[in-house]
Amino acid sequence: MPSLTLKLDRLEKLVGKELKIDDLEYDLQWIGLDVDDVNKEENEIKIEYDPNRPDYSSPEGIARNLKGYYEIEIGLPEFQINEGTEKINVDPKVRKIRPFVVGAIVRNIDLDEDQVGTLMNIQEALHWALGRDRMKVAIGIHDYDQVKGPYIYTTVKPDGVKFRPLHMEAYEMTPKEILEEHEMGIRYAHLLKDAEEYPIIYDAEGKVVSLPPIINGVHTTVTDKTKNLLLDLTGTDFKAVNYSLNIIASTFADMGAKVETLNVIYDDKPDEILKVPDFKPQTMQVHLDYINSYLGLKLSANDIIKCLNKVRLNASKTKNKNILNVKIPAYRCDFMHEVDIVEEVAIGYGYQNLIPVVKEGGFGKYHHAEVFANKARDIMIGAGCLEMVNSTLSSQKDYEKLGLDFNEKEQIVLLNPVSELFNTTRANLLIGLMKNLSFNRSAEKPFRLFEVGDILLLDKNRDVGARRELHLGVITLSESSDFSEIKSLLDHYFRTLGILNDVIIKPISNPTFIEGRTGEIYYKKKKIGIIGEIYPQVIINFGLNYPVAAFEINLMPFFKDQEE
Amino acid sequence: MIYINQKLSIKNEHYKILKKLQKINKPIEARTLSEKLKIPYEKLMSGAIFSLEQVGLAKFQEEEVEVITLTKEAKSYLDSGLPERQIYDVLTQNDRKEVKLLDFSKEIEQELNFSKRLFFVGISKMKKNRWIMSSKAMGYEQIFINNESPEKTEEEQVLDLFKDSNSDSLSEIPKKLQQAVNSIYNRKLVTKDKKILRLVELTPNGKKITEEELQLIDDEIKLISSEMLKDGSWKEKLPNLKNYEVNALGPNIAAGKYHPLTVIINEVREVFHSMGFEEIKGTIVEEAFYNFDCLYQPQDHPAREMHDTFYLKNPAVGKLPKKKVIETIKNTHENGGNTGSTGWGYKWSEEIAKKILLRTHTTATTIRRLSHITKKSKLPMKVFCVDRVFRNESEDRTHLAQFMQIDGIVIGENLSLSDLIGQLVEFYKRMGFEKVVTRPGFFPYTEPSMEVSVYSKKLGAWLEMGGSGIFRPEVTYAWGIRDPVRVLAWGLGLERLAQIKLKLGDIRHLYQSPISWLREASY
Repeated sequence: MPSLTLKLDRLEKLVGKELKIDDLEYDLQWIGLDVDDVNKEENEIKIEYDPNRPDYSSPEGIARNLKGYYEIEIGLPEFQINEGTEKINVDPKVRKIRPFVVGAIVRNIDLDEDQVGTLMNIQEALHWALGRDRMKVAIGIHDYDQVKGPYIYTTVKPDGVKFRPLHMEAYEMTPKEILEEHEMGIRYAHLLKDAEEYPIIYDAEGKVVSLPPIINGVHTTVTDKTKNLLLDLTGTDFKAVNYSLNIIASTFADMGAKVETLNVIYDDKPDEILKVPDFKPQTMQVHLDYINSYLGLKLSANDIIKCLNKVRLNASKTKNKNILNVKIPAYRCDFMHEVDIVEEVAIGYGYQNLIPVVKEGGFGKYHHAEVFANKARDIMIGAGCLEMVNSTLSSQKDYEKLGLDFNEKEQIVLLNPVSELFNTTRANLLIGLMKNLSFNRSAEKPFRLFEVGDILLLDKNRDVGARRELHLGVITLSESSDFSEIKSLLDHYFRTLGILNDVIIKPISNPTFIEGRTGEIYYKKKKIGIIGEIYPQVIINFGLNYPVAAFEINLMPFFKDQEE
Repeated sequence: MIYINQKLSIKNEHYKILKKLQKINKPIEARTLSEKLKIPYEKLMSGAIFSLEQVGLAKFQEEEVEVITLTKEAKSYLDSGLPERQIYDVLTQNDRKEVKLLDFSKEIEQELNFSKRLFFVGISKMKKNRWIMSSKAMGYEQIFINNESPEKTEEEQVLDLFKDSNSDSLSEIPKKLQQAVNSIYNRKLVTKDKKILRLVELTPNGKKITEEELQLIDDEIKLISSEMLKDGSWKEKLPNLKNYEVNALGPNIAAGKYHPLTVIINEVREVFHSMGFEEIKGTIVEEAFYNFDCLYQPQDHPAREMHDTFYLKNPAVGKLPKKKVIETIKNTHENGGNTGSTGWGYKWSEEIAKKILLRTHTTATTIRRLSHITKKSKLPMKVFCVDRVFRNESEDRTHLAQFMQIDGIVIGENLSLSDLIGQLVEFYKRMGFEKVVTRPGFFPYTEPSMEVSVYSKKLGAWLEMGGSGIFRPEVTYAWGIRDPVRVLAWGLGLERLAQIKLKLGDIRHLYQSPISWLREASY
């Protein structure tokens, strides 16, 4: 989850109330923030916020909701947005690669170090949460006094222009060179992979403002002397670029700067002027009985309006007594359904104030596989075996150690393994049990270990192309481990289930086991497993030097018989 | 230790050793003791000392000490003295006061059969000891006797220790000779080794116990044999039966035992069953469709990316359900479909939904269960799932690529957030956590959503246990589950519970199964 460090004194200024760090630690959770760390010496609180609330990426955004929580200021927050005259003309060619641009002019900024940090944090948070790492939204912040409008958002051939990019200001580079040589270019080149021309923003004098979503031109760099800003946000998702702009613009407004709108005009639709940022609230209708039924409460319309006001929404009654009109601030991007309002009412009401209701009823039911698995465990523990629990993830190398061929066509194979340790899944329990012996070779012997667990197998008849199978595996290691010992354990298991007479073992040869001391296990003519002494080279492959014997059986065929 | 009416019985021969130890009255090295008593070491340790320890009269502890051992060269000096002493003795023959060094070296070579190197070592030591002085005033080096009757040097004293003890190895060197030990070590006259010393010592009880308080027996027996029971000899032999230190630990046994994880899983299972839940299981190899799309996670959601999820190369694609279901999910994502939602507003792709992966949460299985619900299903329905899930992560002390997840859902009419809190409070109470707090949270597939924390008395702290919420309409409508029927859901990681219950530092232990840990594990 994204995180943010809040400074108490700054938050006090924004909220307009004296705050105590202990109270704040308690209060923040009820507006949906997770307190990660409290530094009482520095008076700082590190919080984490959920990815659906990028407006929480600044102290300004958090203060807005805290003011509601403390009832210092409720309802829809108001921002002063001035009508601007600055224009950006959009060449329709951008539609093919990065269709949307919005922005704003921000005047009279006087940012301290903290506020600069906040801006960088918001930019990063938006690039991540709404921008999907700059694909859907990329944000540029420029020194407005170094450029001249109107601006042009168009496209350019990979070597159609040369300019000095940020961070490599010593070089004049073409977009192609930036994508190949500039650190940011290399990192974001994939976003322009299939483009014949790249998106670019020029000012009226033809200076490069930015090459979105990669990098800005150097001459618009923001310094401590910067007084006025130009914001550009480009992207592939109209809603996302606007939400992002609204979140930044509202933060600037809360910082005391003057936000001015920008006119966006597409060349092929000169009459349609888009004025951004657009702070018109989103509206939704909710039903009183829906809210009450969802929360298990009996709130009146006024109660609900009060709850919504506390979380900085507006609500008003309509002719229909059951319906409220709700206005949602333009910086909130997480309202898709009436149910999203329900949660806001719950937060306004206070999760801590909800009374738990315990409804009884229902009949529990055991899963037959688990019942059978536990029975197998009981039987093997009774025979002195220690239970192991091993990972489902496995390695091709483990199969080879067992003397088995690993054929990618016949096995489950991971597409993106973290390491060679996990590049497939287990098709038998024996692998894990051998590794248990290997891992524990210095522990006090003798070992009698078992596992009851699922293995995974390819299965063309399933919609997912694979199935799980519940197995029992038993392994012994000691000076005197041999076939007769492991056979006694197998017999003990079948005898306890009462099916010893339905089982026969047929000699086979298998690379994991010693020939003449191994066999396949059949239950009612169905092959269910294997038993034998482990082949010496296999023992050595696992770094062991004592004889080992094992059996493994598929438990699935027994379920039905056991259930009936 | 208090003995009422019953004397501690020890063997007569062991009593003699006890008396000796009482006389010594301080810790003594076991080998030294065995030499003093003239009892073979092994016999002493496994016999007397073991028996005395068993009845709580003696104890022994191990201590690592440095042992120095004479080299072959040093052994040859034991009788004849160190080279410097031998040379000095030759020098002082015939009342000589001075000698020319070059001539003298030849003399020593003949007389003592010393190499040149050894000669100069000796001369330099003699100078250092101020036995001799040298001068080059004549144009060649001369040496003069400086000390007529030099005392034994510290190095010689060390050698004498070996001689006196009649042993090639020593561990107890007086402190004042430590430096000399270092210097003869540098001369390669001794080697140094670490050795475990076993120190035998009487317990406070052992120190003060008297013969009257003991029952001395001549012939101790350990077991009552079948013969004794048959022929009645047990009656006379009973007093000779060795007493046990009844509070001592018995020897280890290789017992069969549940893995702690199984125990905890079964506990969770019992809690669910006792609350009227039915257990469900589902496929581990899963389609992205059920794992993500049905849970209203947009296809560009970061959690779906390769670095968070294990996708499969084989099998790579699944079959997807009926067209109608696919169409519903597609519409829900694109424009909300019939759910009353705006949807995500992007172009949904069947290809992405078809991808096969290892499920990242058991909620995928819960969703498959929702698909089986029909108008005839009896509500409320309560089901749970405890099973393995996977995340593409490198493993360390606190992270696993594979772990167990617990999921519980209740499907019913008019279920509310207050009902969900009620289920959570009841569930965690039965899991042993009396205090439960729920706060606002976020999950893509629930709304409202809650984070759940519980108070652990064992750790004296609040712990974040997992998430919960009511499934979004975008999730349930595809399966015909429509308001006012709602689905309450919560989930938590089992390993988190296990870490608390087992006080586990390294979470990987759970799947490595260290046998020594398992044998010790309590639950």
